[in-house]
Amino acid sequence: MNPIAVKVEHLTKTFGGLHALEGVSIEVPLGQRRALIGPNGAGKTTLFNCIAGSLSPSSGRIFLFEKEVTQLAEYQRTALGIGRTYQITNVFHQLSVLENVLIAEQGTKRQKWILYRPLEKFKSQIDLAMEKLSSLGLDRRRDHFVHQLSYGERRQLEIVLALSSDPRVLLLDEPASGLSPAERQRIGEIILKLSRDITVIFIEHDMDVALGIADQVTVLHQGKIILEAPPEVVRSNSEVREVYFGDA
Amino acid sequence: MNWAIQTLNGISMGALLFLLASGFTITFGLARVVNLAHGAFYLLGGYMGLTILWVTKNFWLALLAGGLSIVVLNYFCERYLIRKTQGNELGQVLLTVGIVYVIADIALVIWGGNPLRIAQPEIARGSIELPFGIVYPRYRFLLILFGIIIGTGQWLLYRKTQLGAIVRAGVDNRETVSAMGIDIDRLLAMVFAFAAFLAGLSGVAGGAFLTVYPGAEWDILVLALVVVIVGGLGSLEGAMVGSLIVGLVDAYGRWLLPEFSYFVVFGPMAVLLLFRPTGLFGREV
Amino acid sequence: MQTRKFAFFLALAIFGLIAPHILDTFWVSLIMQILVFGLLALAVDLLIGHVGIFPLGHAAFFAVAAYTTAILEARHAQPTLVAAFAGVASALILALFFGLAVRTKGVYFILVTMAMGHIVWGVATRWSSFTGGDNGVGNIPLPKVGSLAVSGYRDYYYVVLIVVVIFTLAYRVIVRSPFGTTLRGIRESESRMRSLGYHVAAHKYAAFVLSGGLAGVAGVLYIYLNRFVSPPTAAFHLSAEVSLMAIVGGSGTILGPFLGSVVILIIRNYVSAHLMQWATVMGVVFILTVLYAPKGLMGLIGRHSSPGLSPAVNRSPQKNESNRSQG
Repeated sequence: MNPIAVKVEHLTKTFGGLHALEGVSIEVPLGQRRALIGPNGAGKTTLFNCIAGSLSPSSGRIFLFEKEVTQLAEYQRTALGIGRTYQITNVFHQLSVLENVLIAEQGTKRQKWILYRPLEKFKSQIDLAMEKLSSLGLDRRRDHFVHQLSYGERRQLEIVLALSSDPRVLLLDEPASGLSPAERQRIGEIILKLSRDITVIFIEHDMDVALGIADQVTVLHQGKIILEAPPEVVRSNSEVREVYFGDA
Repeated sequence: MNWAIQTLNGISMGALLFLLASGFTITFGLARVVNLAHGAFYLLGGYMGLTILWVTKNFWLALLAGGLSIVVLNYFCERYLIRKTQGNELGQVLLTVGIVYVIADIALVIWGGNPLRIAQPEIARGSIELPFGIVYPRYRFLLILFGIIIGTGQWLLYRKTQLGAIVRAGVDNRETVSAMGIDIDRLLAMVFAFAAFLAGLSGVAGGAFLTVYPGAEWDILVLALVVVIVGGLGSLEGAMVGSLIVGLVDAYGRWLLPEFSYFVVFGPMAVLLLFRPTGLFGREV
Repeated sequence: MQTRKFAFFLALAIFGLIAPHILDTFWVSLIMQILVFGLLALAVDLLIGHVGIFPLGHAAFFAVAAYTTAILEARHAQPTLVAAFAGVASALILALFFGLAVRTKGVYFILVTMAMGHIVWGVATRWSSFTGGDNGVGNIPLPKVGSLAVSGYRDYYYVVLIVVVIFTLAYRVIVRSPFGTTLRGIRESESRMRSLGYHVAAHKYAAFVLSGGLAGVAGVLYIYLNRFVSPPTAAFHLSAEVSLMAIVGGSGTILGPFLGSVVILIIRNYVSAHLMQWATVMGVVFILTVLYAPKGLMGLIGRHSSPGLSPAVNRSPQKNESNRSQG
């Protein structure tokens, strides 16, 4: 039996009168690729935010590898192995590409508190960062402002940043959104190449992409799980079709 | 006996602060504008009122003049300067500070460097006898009543009228209100004008017992800032509660620990920062 | 590019070294003030340019250090080293408390620091039994460390020059270190930093305390320069002008705050001698800077907060290969 990487127990989140999540319970085993789908407003990003720790649930518990993390702050959860990307690209625009990766790399390291030595002296760190940039073809743009990159390049950088903390659980929020088919391909490749030591939960609107990569799919609607099944089952399920397309 | 006097001092100061702070906080709530020039509005309003008083010998006209002159001033400031700093917090703060420098300097040229007292109106002179044998300056007592009236009026407008509902909705979510077809620019202009009027008016009201003097713009502004920090930016209730707290703490502080009174004002603010960085009634900026 | 920069700094260094011998006291005194207030502006810019938060109360740290050193020297005849050290320490301690302010965001932070600064001014004014109230604290002797005694303006000029250069270089190291880079990450996106594992509040607090301490160093330098301190040293005017110095000069750079210091001090010291309405000039400079030169003087000459590992050099994409080194 695979250990459970992420467990969410009876998670509820209300904003004023709005029930974003209601009694959501999920178990994602180690190494699984779990797709989280559902129409807009279903609560997918809210669920991500609760797991990652940027949002506190109204009630419920969250576990990371059997350890309860409900009370832990976001940065503490990252140290325990959570990494995430954002639906709206959240990178450091006024910094260079290289700096972006370096910052991501030192996020969980003591090194970030060093103030007596210039960052450019940390050779091994820089080499590591350059390797990552090379694999994306961005090594020659290492000193460019991130705001000079194309949207697709920024999206790729977004994933690289999340991977820099060596996460054991990766939360990808619509990684392919707004990308051209070629760029989607690239993102798809990056995800598929991820080691099975990493558990991946991803939100994706593009049904084909989602169902193509996923081992298991969780369907959310109005804050509740309406179905949890392998892709083929979800693809032909009438309730899911109704929720998405309004017909049977 | 002293406790009662000091409490009344605190409440009357709070009333004055409320007049200034309420406009400032609603302006922020609705338009996300931090208009530190409010301090200069207070100063200039006071001076303008003083001049009108010298000319007409009528306190009420002076009040009106103080208020209206600032409405005009704010119109120009907003239209040609402040508007250009939308979304740039530090820029807006520095810009409005620059406006204060300019206005204060011009006021110094025109009215000189000595504190000037605005003569209180007939009905407010002398003292009033209150229950429990408390004798209190009539003017400050009337100021409390005035503050309560304005506060209640504002609150009713804000909470009970349709106009108020629109303003509240705007504070909550400007885009939505705009999308609903409501002329947001007209709304803003009205709110700005109202805030400016109160600021100028408060200068006259304050000048009648605190005098008008160079530097008053900063003294009152800082207290008003503590009010909105404690009460929460954008909240009318916050301005009411905040004014009361700051007024009272200031009065007690000056009385009991005169050398540390400023430090005492900091107290509620610090406690609040620990637990509610956005103020009692404030929301995430 | 490199040689032009080198030449610039060399010229600056030479000028700096011979200034007291070629200029009269007014100008030498002005240069010293520019250096001291420039250092204060640098301290503020650690927060504005690198953390992305805007304090308007740093005069508090400056003044507390000045008062502490002044009182220890003038009233308790403490040796310079003790008084100076205590001065900086007092600023650091105050920053430990005022650092609470980093719990607030955006506009709240600006207002809170403004109020905090005013509190210190108020204490300086009202606690007259200790601070001398409006009379301030004077009769500060010239600094003396062991057998090295400053005997006049010229001597002290070199003290100021050396101290400011040392701390500016230290600042440069800090700003280019992993810690400094972390701050800029926070400036860009706090949420992202949190999800990358950073305890954002702790870093902001640390930066605030460092900034306050550096402001204290400037305060200690100031008191031996001015030999007198009074409440206006803690006034909001100073906090606002110092923040403006960072912006006018070019926030996020090393030279910027000093350039800004030149501008503001020339208005305060030179313009004021010729024009009564210099405060209006200052106000207009505030307004014009915000509206037309938000990146400051450094921005106007093409150097602004830029990518790469050194924050103070502008590198356009084509030149990045040759310009690998420092700024």
